[in-house]
Amino acid sequence: MVFILGVNFPERNLLKKSLQTFFGIGNNSSARLMSRFNIHPTCRVGELANKQVLDLTAVLSEMKIENDLRREVLNDIKRMKETGTYRGRRHALGLPVRGQRTRTQIKTPVKLNRMERRL
Amino acid sequence: MASSWCWNCLSRLRPTPRALLPPSATPRISSAPFHSTAVHYAQPAKKKGNSLTVMKHRQSTSLRRKKKKVADRGGRPPAVGERKALRKRIVLSNPNALEVEGMLDLSPETMVDSRLRGTVLGLPVPMIDQLRAVQAFKPKQGWSIFRRPGTVLRRDTIEMGRLFEQISGEGDAAKKGKVVKKIVTGMKGSGKTVHLLQAMAMGFLKKWAVITIPDARELVSGETAYAAIEGSDPLQYVQPTATSALLTRTVDANRELLASLKVSQKHPALKMLKPSSTLEDLAKLGFSDPAVSWRVFQALWTELTATAPAAGLEKDFQPRPPMLVAVDGLAHWMTESAYRSAEFKPIHAHDLAFVHHFLSLLKEGDSLKNGGLLLYATSASNNPNPKALNIALDRLAARQAGISASSPEYPQPPAYSDADPRVLDLLQPAEKAVSPVELQTLGGLTRDEARGFMEYFARSGLLRELVNDQWVSEKWSLSGGGIIGELEKFGRRVRATASASK
Repeated sequence: MVFILGVNFPERNLLKKSLQTFFGIGNNSSARLMSRFNIHPTCRVGELANKQVLDLTAVLSEMKIENDLRREVLNDIKRMKETGTYRGRRHALGLPVRGQRTRTQIKTPVKLNRMERRL
Repeated sequence: MASSWCWNCLSRLRPTPRALLPPSATPRISSAPFHSTAVHYAQPAKKKGNSLTVMKHRQSTSLRRKKKKVADRGGRPPAVGERKALRKRIVLSNPNALEVEGMLDLSPETMVDSRLRGTVLGLPVPMIDQLRAVQAFKPKQGWSIFRRPGTVLRRDTIEMGRLFEQISGEGDAAKKGKVVKKIVTGMKGSGKTVHLLQAMAMGFLKKWAVITIPDARELVSGETAYAAIEGSDPLQYVQPTATSALLTRTVDANRELLASLKVSQKHPALKMLKPSSTLEDLAKLGFSDPAVSWRVFQALWTELTATAPAAGLEKDFQPRPPMLVAVDGLAHWMTESAYRSAEFKPIHAHDLAFVHHFLSLLKEGDSLKNGGLLLYATSASNNPNPKALNIALDRLAARQAGISASSPEYPQPPAYSDADPRVLDLLQPAEKAVSPVELQTLGGLTRDEARGFMEYFARSGLLRELVNDQWVSEKWSLSGGGIIGELEKFGRRVRATASASK
């Protein structure tokens, strides 16, 4: 088990996938992060040297990810609701925000867009 | 028009006396049923609710399916690496196949004997472990159908055998200690990899140092660790794990040779090395610690290419043998690799120190000081097909055919094509110089060789046909002019109608 930013990852897991478990890190950011420290794309968590783990943790801790990012996104939505913009209203009503049709296929906004929005 | 009511049901409209019926839990329904089942025996009515008919506000109306549960097959999943081991397994013997009577082994005498052309020579049994160590056998090759591994002695093999003799200094002394550089190409199934295997076998027979890269792709596909070399310009990258694997391969295969040679140069970078240690000890330093493996490899290379000892180390110096360097799948080294630089730019394969080292051997001059043979084979089935290499190989062929670089027939990259200049430059000789690299194109077997090859199948009990000239000629044509991979398919195909066709 290897600690990266306070999370324990099993050694046999792929590092790329493990990085992507953080909210705010996807395919592109994980690939860029790894190449920044010369880690090959198919590296397993167990293959990392201690220094690489520390480097990764240091960079991750400076990035806006996980709860910080969630808070930022929620704040943005809240601001839109408060200023009464169209997008804010759509968020509050549980309807799609970006001009999609509402006749069918709006499961995701129904699920997510509510007054007390969660991420 | 017939009534839609059933008379039988109507006749039951009068309720039966209660006392005659068994007491039931079903609620009594006062209305009369219009079907044949008595109310009292009917299943209790299901409760309503949660059905799709009750629509909630903004709930999806799409079909809801139950997910199928994945059937548990029982047993454990395969252990880590087990499936890969099975996939990469190499079987070299089939006890059900007949032993071929009078089959000769590959030896320094037989490998140059033109009388044996077209016969299949067995690989010497003690050498098989060495060949396994350098990964000369590939899993998809048909070694597992014969009693023991053997290869056909074709024209190219005999020529290569003579080359080995000449470089080793027997017979024609003019080529002693020379370096011959070849790129082996050919159609799919034309025997390029087996040609490399034969070269390795000959290298072991002649006591050469054999260094191989069985799969060039592994170095550029982003599967092994890499690290930048500080201070190199342009920035180069080492691959410590791959280097360590190469050292392991080399020591396993050339143990006897490396153990007999002593360190003759000074290696200030390797402080743990004693002056009396052998090259085997030197290479072993790189096994366990990938951090120093590249430095160890460089040290081993300088040792193997040394022509004279350094001052103070003359005591145990023995002349170094020629070297064989065999690389399979050259085309993978002619593109950008799957690695990325720190700025997220793709790293060109030529910027990997490992690849660069082996490609720089192709350049002009005596790259191997003690002589030797460089065999770099392309692959037709596992080929990224880089444009620049195709053009470079065409140019090589043109130069060999006597077309000068200024001639209009000299192959040029198509206008506006993004052919990689680094690749084009690699195989381009300097002005008016003779090209250092020779292009060897493997074609099909001749009919005589094909006959010998098919007879080997028949004598192993795999082919139940009468192998005569007519039959061989037919198969030779069907196999695209004796392409050995296609011939093998004819040989191994079991015929149920073998006796009928005779």
